[in-house]
Amino acid sequence: MVKRIRLEKKIVSENDRLARELAERFRAAGVLAVNLMSSPGAGKTSLLEETSRRLGGELRLAAIEGDLATDRDAQRLRRAGMPTRQINTGRGCHLNAAQVAEAIQAFDGRGKPLDLDALDVLFIENVGNLICPAQFDLGERRRVVVASTPEGDDKPIKYPVVFDTADCVVLNKMDLLEATFFSCEAFRRYVRGLAPKARILELSCRTGAGLEAWLDWIRAERTAAKKG
Amino acid sequence: MHELSLAQAIWRQVVGEMERRPQYRLAALSVVVGAFSGADPESLGFAMRLVVEESAWPGAETRIRTEPVALKCRACGRAYETETLDLACPGCGGYDVEVTGGRDLRLESLEVVLDDGEAHSS
Repeated sequence: MVKRIRLEKKIVSENDRLARELAERFRAAGVLAVNLMSSPGAGKTSLLEETSRRLGGELRLAAIEGDLATDRDAQRLRRAGMPTRQINTGRGCHLNAAQVAEAIQAFDGRGKPLDLDALDVLFIENVGNLICPAQFDLGERRRVVVASTPEGDDKPIKYPVVFDTADCVVLNKMDLLEATFFSCEAFRRYVRGLAPKARILELSCRTGAGLEAWLDWIRAERTAAKKG
Repeated sequence: MHELSLAQAIWRQVVGEMERRPQYRLAALSVVVGAFSGADPESLGFAMRLVVEESAWPGAETRIRTEPVALKCRACGRAYETETLDLACPGCGGYDVEVTGGRDLRLESLEVVLDDGEAHSS
């Protein structure tokens, strides 16, 4: 005779387990870990370059870069003054917690780990993709989705899962607004629907307009992370 | 694309439960896949077959039940469900909606039989 055992247990993947370990390490060190997600070309790296140039003298920043191939983004960030470790995922369409742990462990490429105790903010720039990264916790404290005006204002409702968990949504390339059919009002309405508490920051990495509000958000989140 | 690792995670939990009940043999497991969980039920079913075939209970059956996205419209108050990821409210057409369910991936239950084949009543 068959016996039925009711469990109703949430599945905890290996990634969830590793992400919890990372989150605990970030918390213990008081580091603000930020997972940046967007479609390719929305401006994640540009945002981090500007962040490094404007905040690098004030806060201790580092970055982990995810791309299928090349270390071009890591080079860009290093030129902007940000210590950066590049991860090449090959065919992988997202970063996972194991890759982040490994990048921290071998941060300088010669086996020297990243000293979390000597850091304020760790940016983790995910692989450009609005689908899979949303499912993989990297131990981050905050999730940022970067969108841009040429992509269209309906991205949030077409890719709801990634926007649903966003703490902050950056709308980049505001300098191109006039050249597009993008409606800021519609975009804000769609984001607020999915993530009512998320900050929405309109800016242009190219002109610098609106960047100060982003830097203030990072400063405030970093202060909160220090307090634990 | 990520369903094999999810299947392995499900299986680790199944094995953990079965180790606490060594007198039983696994006959079936039931998994609930929320439509907002990001997992694809069809790929997960395929991945589960691969994992189960290699296990101590290769005959165990995996039952996958999908759970729709549950929503509540903040604009008109309507509560509704959808199987797709188009979350628009059927009442007012708006997207000011709160996801209230369908995020989970859960191991719902196991069906087990006594290993010596004797009848067992619980």
